[in-house]
Amino acid sequence: MTIEAAAVPVGGGTAARHRDEFRRPWRLRLPLLPALVFTILVTQVPFVMSIWYSLTNWKIVPPTPRKFVGLDNYGKLVDDRFFRDAAWVSVTMTVSAVLLSLVLGTLLALLLDRQFFGQGFVRTLLITPFLIMPVVAGLIWKNQMLNGLYGVLNWVLERVGIDSIEFVSRYPRGSIIAVLVWQWTPFMMLIVLAGLQSQSSEVLEASKVDGASAFGTFRQLTLPHLRSYLELGALLGTVYLIQVFDHVAVMTGGGRESTNLPYFVYQRSIGGGWVFGRASAYSIVVVVASIIVATVALRVLSRLLKGEEIA
Amino acid sequence: MDCGHTDERRRGNGERPAGTVPITSHGHQGAHVGNTHNEQHRTGRRAAWSVALAGGLLCATAAVVGSATSAGATRPAEADRELNVAIVGNPQMEDIASLTPELFTAETGITVNYTVLEEGTLREVVTRDVGAGGEQFDVVMIGMYETPQFGVNGWLVDLTPYATADETYAVDDLIPSVRSGLSVEDAMYASPFYAESSFLMYRQDVLDEAGIEMPANPTWDEVAEIARTVDSDEMAGICLRGKPGWGDLGASFTTVLNTFGATWWSANDDGTIGEAQIDQPEFKTALEFYTGLLADAGEDDAANASFNECLAQYRDGKVAMWYDATVAAGLLEADDSPVQGMNGYAMAPVMETESSGWLWSWALAIPQNSPDPDTAWEFISWATGPEYIAAAGDLISGGWAAIPPGTRLSTYELSEYQEAAAAFADQTLAAMDAAPIDSPGTTPRPGLPGVQYVGVPEFQDVGNRCTEEFSGVIAGRTTVDDALSACQDIASQAVS
Repeated sequence: MTIEAAAVPVGGGTAARHRDEFRRPWRLRLPLLPALVFTILVTQVPFVMSIWYSLTNWKIVPPTPRKFVGLDNYGKLVDDRFFRDAAWVSVTMTVSAVLLSLVLGTLLALLLDRQFFGQGFVRTLLITPFLIMPVVAGLIWKNQMLNGLYGVLNWVLERVGIDSIEFVSRYPRGSIIAVLVWQWTPFMMLIVLAGLQSQSSEVLEASKVDGASAFGTFRQLTLPHLRSYLELGALLGTVYLIQVFDHVAVMTGGGRESTNLPYFVYQRSIGGGWVFGRASAYSIVVVVASIIVATVALRVLSRLLKGEEIA
Repeated sequence: MDCGHTDERRRGNGERPAGTVPITSHGHQGAHVGNTHNEQHRTGRRAAWSVALAGGLLCATAAVVGSATSAGATRPAEADRELNVAIVGNPQMEDIASLTPELFTAETGITVNYTVLEEGTLREVVTRDVGAGGEQFDVVMIGMYETPQFGVNGWLVDLTPYATADETYAVDDLIPSVRSGLSVEDAMYASPFYAESSFLMYRQDVLDEAGIEMPANPTWDEVAEIARTVDSDEMAGICLRGKPGWGDLGASFTTVLNTFGATWWSANDDGTIGEAQIDQPEFKTALEFYTGLLADAGEDDAANASFNECLAQYRDGKVAMWYDATVAAGLLEADDSPVQGMNGYAMAPVMETESSGWLWSWALAIPQNSPDPDTAWEFISWATGPEYIAAAGDLISGGWAAIPPGTRLSTYELSEYQEAAAAFADQTLAAMDAAPIDSPGTTPRPGLPGVQYVGVPEFQDVGNRCTEEFSGVIAGRTTVDDALSACQDIASQAVS
């Protein structure tokens, strides 16, 4: 806050200019209108159309006329055990992947926060999994790591005398979660690292002078400071992981243990079900759930960028 | 998240490593930049940098995926004659794709762009494209299941006028059962590229060593006993499809359940689809037999194995028997095959019925909204005509045994083919002849004719989701009863 105060004499002119900008006539902004309309069209129209589809009984194989059926699709959704299964898979898959990657990401961030030779290189290496395309990551893990016949993991298991395990077939959900954690740990690591680096070194030095143990410092100072960063990581992770499709498609191709909501919507629509009306209803439910999570995430993000927690 | 914004900020600060942000006078900087976060403590800005970098990564990933998906939809200009063809990724199709520039484009000047897809993906893409009015492909490869249904829906060009007018195509040379399987009321909607039935392939040397003789018309009980006898640590007794998908596990298993007297749905008197029959005892017997045999004497990771996986394992000498498509024999006896000349072939095993082999064809069709059906036919006529079959034998790596079989009578009169395919040509024709297309089981079936599938649109989705359950049994994740009860619900839901 003292820094803000110091800035006032110079920044006073800036504030005045800000006010002017707000008063600027609308005609100056008019050229932006086409872009705004375009953005609204391309982002919102598909959504509105799927709401409309979700109220019809649209089916393309065999081609049947589209008929308005009201909320019928939503009613059927409630007692569809396969929808409930998929929702449960989505919840468990997202929650466990987010939590695990958050824990691992925090540990890696703590390591990376120290000064050591080759720090930048190591950080780049650690980020790499996040840069790999999801389809590629799924295939690499399925075929090179987890495969029962020639997977690396099973090769290691056999060396220590354990029979090979067909991970993907036996534990489809666990395998997918493992790959998700592998891919998303770097993301969590970056966010937590940001939090660690924003921690004031004076506070840390003070606690050291006062004789606090390293763990005590972490638990009582660093962790509370990291709270909003962890929240942000968890919420952003949730928003993205709830939409996971690629991993399911290439690793298991569905099944009771691994069909999450996006894959279920795909199966019921273009994946062979061709019941677009009902599939749209499923997807609307997913979108609404995601919007709720995303709204919370954006609040946390804006709070963080405003710096309330940091000051 | 606003990608442009985070990207820009990443460019602005990304050059500097996080540890070396210089400490400057924030008052001055704040005056000419005017952003709130510049007025924070320096560590706050580093935090923003890292968050922005994470955000930028998300956006970069999204952009890569986005461009990958949109690339598939673009259509080249029509200036030179060009065709976009969607085909399934099996060896015969890959052969023709590699021979096209030399044998077709050089002659006609028509460039052919192949999109090679996995069976399930191909089905999805093609249905979406022809069904929803897309124009992505000029020629699509579809199977015997879809052809009559798509034809009835009015999605495909009737090829009969083209076929009868085109002398080099020799329409009467087509094997009759295949041609009728691709036709509805004499209108032919697709031209067969290859056709197949299913039969049992086995390693003659392995059975000889065990002192076992395979009957020419074995029952499933006999086959199961042989499989359990020859099964060892190094070599599995039998390879059966276990991968989810109505055309994968669904095909093999449906021929088994047909001959066990079970069925997916009953048929109403007018041929429409009736009640789901998955809860019947015959269905359970069939599923227990299939999954039990795989558990006792099946291949490694059976829940992930389909045609290609079994082919690889059989060629590697890891399985002693294999029940699958007749087209596989051509690949086992090919010049580049390590098991060439070591195999015997028997009819598809039976229980309650006389015969149980399936009937299938991959065939080329023209979607109704294709802009240039004449050019498309020119390609189909070449790819499925007798000339390609005769020319391919000397050019493909598998040799004569690996040419596309089962479509034309003239194929079986080629002396080179008779010689190369001596081991299996007769069995293939016999199997195709015996395929019980009109009455595959012990009860009437609903919809259009079909052996390893039910000729109704609902079967694709039901078959896919039920085989996921059955594959779960094979993997040991679920029990037979659980899978059957889920499948009964799926099949009932589809017709309600």
